[in-house]
Amino acid sequence: MIKMSNISVTVRLIGSKRREKLEISSRAKVIDLLKLLGQNPQVVVVRRNGKIVTEGERLAEGDLIEILPVVTGG
Amino acid sequence: MLKCTFCGRGAVYDRRYAGVLLCDRCFMKSVEKRFRKAVAKYNLISPGDKIAAALSGGKDSTVNLHLLADYRRHKDFDLVAVTIDEGIKGYRDESLKIAEENAKLLGVEHKVASFEEAFGATLDKIVKLAKKHKTGLSACTYCGVLRRSLLNKTARELGANKLATGHNLDDEVQAIMLNYIRADLARLYRLGPIYEEREGFVSRVKPLREIPEKEVAVYALLRGLKIHLAVCPHAGGIHMEIRDFINNLEANHPNSKFMILRMFESIKPKIAQSMIEFKPMKCEMCGEPTSSRICKACELLRELGL
Repeated sequence: MIKMSNISVTVRLIGSKRREKLEISSRAKVIDLLKLLGQNPQVVVVRRNGKIVTEGERLAEGDLIEILPVVTGG
Repeated sequence: MLKCTFCGRGAVYDRRYAGVLLCDRCFMKSVEKRFRKAVAKYNLISPGDKIAAALSGGKDSTVNLHLLADYRRHKDFDLVAVTIDEGIKGYRDESLKIAEENAKLLGVEHKVASFEEAFGATLDKIVKLAKKHKTGLSACTYCGVLRRSLLNKTARELGANKLATGHNLDDEVQAIMLNYIRADLARLYRLGPIYEEREGFVSRVKPLREIPEKEVAVYALLRGLKIHLAVCPHAGGIHMEIRDFINNLEANHPNSKFMILRMFESIKPKIAQSMIEFKPMKCEMCGEPTSSRICKACELLRELGL
């Protein structure tokens, strides 16, 4: 059996003080991280290391992932 | 990095409902094209128009103002911006500054009208009074009715013949669903890209109506616009439930939002047969145009003793 390795990414939720380091599968994509955090991709924009990325983008060790809620209502 | 379906550059947006990935340039071009297409298809702007753009400082109205300002290259029309200060402490103050900066940047005349001046109370105070009087109405109900009334009045006083709002696809789809749930056929029927001018009412146009909310936000970020992204402290209730429901639906079944809009457009002409056109009257209390003796804004304010 092949053992899956994990990578570590830092997640920052813009608009809150939440900033945490998470361990996730090295095969994980942005969408997997959003699911893990309970975030609907319809209402957030994700920046990886300062650049906007699609939900299908694969994560890499040491990535800084910023989640920006953009559906604000009102 | 995933590649843009059209040019092969790095993709920044996955437009799942269309099955394409887009780079920053192709994405921005497609949003701008959709704006121009909506304006042309529904004839939202004519030469010589004076358009008042509702400007809150949020992403939708800011993008709308910038795209309208760009559009002046294609058509000769006047543009002014109108901001309503509802009086929401810790929320509107910052967005007002952002609205002002954007109008200044574009060289667009900017007018601010406040609830306090027009109705004698801020929204914060109105919400408190509503609780005290146990009206059972949400902040969004008061805010929506009073904002629409004040936007119309201010646009008219500025000599504008059209009021352009930043309503996006999500807003329109949520309004369709809300009116279904409330079984409000008259309000449902009034939805659309343009609501024609009637005595006292300035025409209302929605150039962003076919652009999903997230795309408006991504566009604002890619263009580097200064926008206010905070959540209104009064937001809540059925509006938010419908919004979450539709966003979950779209995440699991891409294109649902457009399908809801298209279905509504197909049945709208049939609703017309059962609608009675109303003749605008003047509100007996404030003189603003209304479909009944007393306008909705005065009816709500009277109930609160204002």
